[in-house]
Amino acid sequence: MIKSAIHLKGLTHAWPRQAPLFEIDELTVQQGQHLFIQGPSGCGKSTLLSLLAGVQAVQNGVCQVLGNDMAQLTSLQRDQLRGEHMGVIFQQFNLLPYLDVKANVLLPTQLFPSRLKASVAVWGSAIQQAKSLSQALGLGERLWHQPIHQLSVGQQQRVAAVRALMGAPELVIADEPTSALDDARQLEFLDLLLQTAEKQHTTVILVSHNARLANRFDQVFEMHAGDHA
Amino acid sequence: MSLWASLAWHSAWSRRLALSLVTLSVSVSVLILLGAQQLRDDARQSFSNALSGVDLIVGPRGSATELMLYSVFQIGRPSRNMGFGGYADILQMPQVRWAVPIQLGDSYKGYPVLGTTVTLFSEFKSQGKGLEWAAGRAFGNPMDKPEAMSEVVLGAEVAKRFGHRVGDKLVLTHGAGGGPDDTDHDDHPLTIVGILAATGAPIDRSVLISLEGFEAMHQGWGMGISPKALKSAAASLQVSANPKDLQPVSLSAVWVGLHNRAEVFSAKRKIESFNRDPLMAVLPGVALDELWQVVKVVENSLVLIGMLVAISAMLSVAAVLLVAMAGRRKELAILRAMGATPRALLGFVMLESVLVCLLGIVFGYAISQLLMLGVQDLLRTGFGVMVHPGLPSSEGLISIAALMSVAVLASLMPAWRAYRLSLMDGLHPPNI
Repeated sequence: MIKSAIHLKGLTHAWPRQAPLFEIDELTVQQGQHLFIQGPSGCGKSTLLSLLAGVQAVQNGVCQVLGNDMAQLTSLQRDQLRGEHMGVIFQQFNLLPYLDVKANVLLPTQLFPSRLKASVAVWGSAIQQAKSLSQALGLGERLWHQPIHQLSVGQQQRVAAVRALMGAPELVIADEPTSALDDARQLEFLDLLLQTAEKQHTTVILVSHNARLANRFDQVFEMHAGDHA
Repeated sequence: MSLWASLAWHSAWSRRLALSLVTLSVSVSVLILLGAQQLRDDARQSFSNALSGVDLIVGPRGSATELMLYSVFQIGRPSRNMGFGGYADILQMPQVRWAVPIQLGDSYKGYPVLGTTVTLFSEFKSQGKGLEWAAGRAFGNPMDKPEAMSEVVLGAEVAKRFGHRVGDKLVLTHGAGGGPDDTDHDDHPLTIVGILAATGAPIDRSVLISLEGFEAMHQGWGMGISPKALKSAAASLQVSANPKDLQPVSLSAVWVGLHNRAEVFSAKRKIESFNRDPLMAVLPGVALDELWQVVKVVENSLVLIGMLVAISAMLSVAAVLLVAMAGRRKELAILRAMGATPRALLGFVMLESVLVCLLGIVFGYAISQLLMLGVQDLLRTGFGVMVHPGLPSSEGLISIAALMSVAVLASLMPAWRAYRLSLMDGLHPPNI
């Protein structure tokens, strides 16, 4: 059992010939706990998420994700780690517009056999898990065969959440997943996401500039523009 | 891998309008390239087939290509004739197994009339096969029975076109037909006694009568003017009934078959040195080669144009897909977020462009074959070219393989762009 979902120490990142975007002394999130990262735009939130997701290579410092030292992994291994053990939710446009809801949701389990295995082990089949997750997130099954463009933004974000949670990944990385929603819906979506994630012991790391969301999380990490803390 | 194929298919289908247009442009280019190639090959094939079995074509001295074209393919018309004596001399040569005189000049509703002898029916070969009868028999030898002069044999196509059957009567036209001054030989109605089975050779488009019958129709004609036009009723009435008096003075050409093909050059020399009006003996293969030399420039430029069009079509595929990449950055980021490697995305995009090109090639080939099927009859009747729609020839396959490689190369451009973009954008494509 992995103790910490992420463990960062002395992590810095800089664009070529520029001052470091951020420096993080130490940050650890236990598996199953949720982390809220807050900060204004341009503070390097997105870059930090890219490092955690393994899309970008670590330049300096320690970046452990799910027990893996990201600096030691090749880009292929990082891609595989992300595919097998993480889910990602963007601000919007999360779904492939040419697939219907069901096909979008089942993609992670089709791309990686281990995700399918995890799904089958607990729910019997990927479809069964998708149904259960959809229900938990308040998505009716009648949406399943609808084209993506007929869904509201809120519905699309829920579908994205279902997809991110398919195959019970250890980590879900969400980049401003609520900012396309109106205020009333933001907390509702967040609560559903966190509750559902807890059921599968999934850690959620969420980035937002909206401080009102922070109290739903176990841990809050604040980033500042040009952070040199 | 079928997952990526299915994704590529769905993705492509969602952009089907733009993609179908580029597919179509590939199709058109393939149509031009393969069509030109196939037409060239089939034309050559049918021209050579039509000549199989004839070792020498003899005619008045002049252009070898012209002689071959008018005597075998009935394309163009002779500008002068050879003396009949030449034919008699050829028959005397020991090397000669058979000789068939060819008399041209009349037509039947646009189809050429061939005055010849019965030898033609036993010796003529097309694609190595002798003539067969769809109905009836050959015209008789007028030397044995004078009424055979009014017997006529139709090629398969002529009979089919006008629905003629054995026993029908018809009237030939003086000249190539279609001109205002053409006169019908209506004082010489002919009876159809036989219809040839289809051969694919120009003989399908011919109307065959005996040399004597041909001559009889032209008795009393002077300077190509009908005796009726001269109002000399007597002339047309006093047609000689004796075939022996109806030996023509001149012939358009003579086809010669030898006992031994190896003697073709000595036979040629001998014929050309006859002590009469100067003759020319042409090896059909050599004459054809000369013809191909002439048309080669046209053919080659056609194929070259086809290649250039194909390359430009492939480039347009690359350009369209490259431009489309900008709009697909979000799609790439989504797949990337789900763990897809940049290399997988490269393959994903490439699969699509290869698919587009492949579909274009298959589609283009199908259209070309359908078109050929459609104009098959026209090509055969108009140009004597038998096209063979169906699977591509080995040369066609080489062209298709070449097109495929160009397609793969062209596909690399958008695929490489996808690779670069997915590395550059990561999870955060610019908002567009």
